Amino acid sequence: MNRVGIFLGRMRAFIVRDFQLALSYRIQFLFRALEVLFFVTTLFFISKIFTGGAVTTYTQWSNPLAAWITGLAVLNYFMTGFSSFANAIRQEQAQGTLEGVLMTPVSIPTFIISSSAYDFVQATVYSSLYLLFGWLFFDVRFQGNFLLAFLFLIITTLVLASIGILSASFAMVFKRGDPFGILLATSSTLFSGVFFPTQLLNEYGGRAFGTISRFLPPTYGLDGIRRVLIQGQGFNEVREPLFTLLLFLAILMPFSFWVFSRAVRRAKREGSLIQY
Amino acid sequence: MSAIISSSFSPQHAHDASVTPVQRAAAISIRHLSKTYPIPLARLKKIFRRKTTNPVEALRDVSFEVREGEIFGLIGRNGAGKTSLTKIIATLVQPTSGSVVVQGFDSVSNEQDVRAQLGLATAEERSFYWRLTIEQNLTFFARLYGLTDRASQASIGDLLTRLELEPLARRRFGELSTGNKQRVAVARAMLSSPSILLLDEPTRSLDPLAAARTRSLIKSLARDAGKPVTVLLTSHNLTEIEELCDRVAVISRGTIRALDTPEHLRDLHRSTERVRLSLRGLSHKQARTALSQVFEEFELSGDEETLGVQFTRAVNDDLLDSAIHALQSSGGRILACDAERATLLDVLEKYEHEHDAEEGKQQ
Repeated sequence: MNRVGIFLGRMRAFIVRDFQLALSYRIQFLFRALEVLFFVTTLFFISKIFTGGAVTTYTQWSNPLAAWITGLAVLNYFMTGFSSFANAIRQEQAQGTLEGVLMTPVSIPTFIISSSAYDFVQATVYSSLYLLFGWLFFDVRFQGNFLLAFLFLIITTLVLASIGILSASFAMVFKRGDPFGILLATSSTLFSGVFFPTQLLNEYGGRAFGTISRFLPPTYGLDGIRRVLIQGQGFNEVREPLFTLLLFLAILMPFSFWVFSRAVRRAKREGSLIQY
Repeated sequence: MSAIISSSFSPQHAHDASVTPVQRAAAISIRHLSKTYPIPLARLKKIFRRKTTNPVEALRDVSFEVREGEIFGLIGRNGAGKTSLTKIIATLVQPTSGSVVVQGFDSVSNEQDVRAQLGLATAEERSFYWRLTIEQNLTFFARLYGLTDRASQASIGDLLTRLELEPLARRRFGELSTGNKQRVAVARAMLSSPSILLLDEPTRSLDPLAAARTRSLIKSLARDAGKPVTVLLTSHNLTEIEELCDRVAVISRGTIRALDTPEHLRDLHRSTERVRLSLRGLSHKQARTALSQVFEEFELSGDEETLGVQFTRAVNDDLLDSAIHALQSSGGRILACDAERATLLDVLEKYEHEHDAEEGKQQ
């Protein structure tokens, strides 16, 4: 078996393991799906308040329900991107299973990527449920190039995964507390335009307040995906957010790997790799 | 004092069953290994003027080799450095200085290759997924070792049979008894048929029968003529160490204090032993007359029905032969012979006392 084959085999092992663990809590999936349905339904009724209102100023928000469920579906994916790596380490450390896993010939990057693979599978399912319920029950229509939207999703997830690796490095050395996760999770909801247009930040909070959103990768990811799926824009029109995301990726990816390798070395030197 | 026996590397002997483990090539080679655990975030603590403890020196200049197919015991008190040493070999902790080479691979620069050679079984129950069955747990770890589905099924089936876990294969790990959990840990360590097994108290929670079977399994793995498995065994059960190990290292406060076969270690640390003989067919007077020809100091007890003789002799001298011969020549029939010899516990205690005395002098 070549290296890719071995890597995929190991990733499969982690996905199967997590699926088996999830199966041991069978009812959880049903409740989570119901939660998504209830939330989408709630958003549908809230959106009815704005029917015929002035939301057309913001073209992506002409149908607030479509904007919200796109935002939530994508945010769910992004959150997984930056939280699952650190969670993988923390969970295995807390359970005490990290020693067993790290005694196998699996490299630490392979372990971290593979052990969060199931989270991405789950995120895909739940994110799809947001879109599916919107389309099935509330007549939300999406247009544009789905492949381009998917490209945005992948690149933004990779950018957030890089921040996730920084977060995992922090978890490896300090065990608890995750400044990257807390910062990004709280700021993304407020500044990235999940529930309202980012232009409002400028209008009501001032220019400095509005500028914060420009430093957050999810802002560009969400903007790009909504432009494609809601406004039906093509590649030429979404070049700006796409290239900004690629710039984030070019800086954050190598930096996060460098920090991570130093964190692993430090944890091994301190003998705290498997401690919680 | 560290008694290191230099290795005579001869690859042609590596899997030759006719050579003893001591003559085989080194499976694990440890050279001048030291480990001091730094204070986590020491610089940060200094900046904030937080009190810090001293760095912990866990190992100091440890050197020895474990040969292919050898069962090597590591004994010492809690905190002596056994776990640190095992974790460094297992690549889970980095040494401060020195090196560990496992089957030719360096534990720092080739850690994945090192781990591919090793199987580790600890008494830590939490290292399994409690909501998964034994079979699901072992399949997961087999896949991480890179085994194909067919190979992992075959290996798991074989191990479950050998470790008598077959009827429990579909039971959740969390529902198992402590002893069975420990056997699953041994099974996991053996999944990929590693050439080296690191076993940390493998029989700690087992009932006497299961413990005996596990010991027998360990022995059979190391004595396998085709592919002998090297075993590094740490245990507080000194009888088990004496029974299983070809060589034993005594580790105390981070240094190897002695390394030899269990017999030599015992003999080195007690030059005499108390011998008790039980015999029939001789009166006190007859026994006294017979034994007086051999030595002067002995004690007699009991009656003609069962007479007891006790004496002290230098380990391995001819006195026992002579005494038995004298008694038998006078018409006595030996019923039992029992020698109260030094144990590894005596050895361990001696080194601890020595270390305490050395530290006392330094202070």
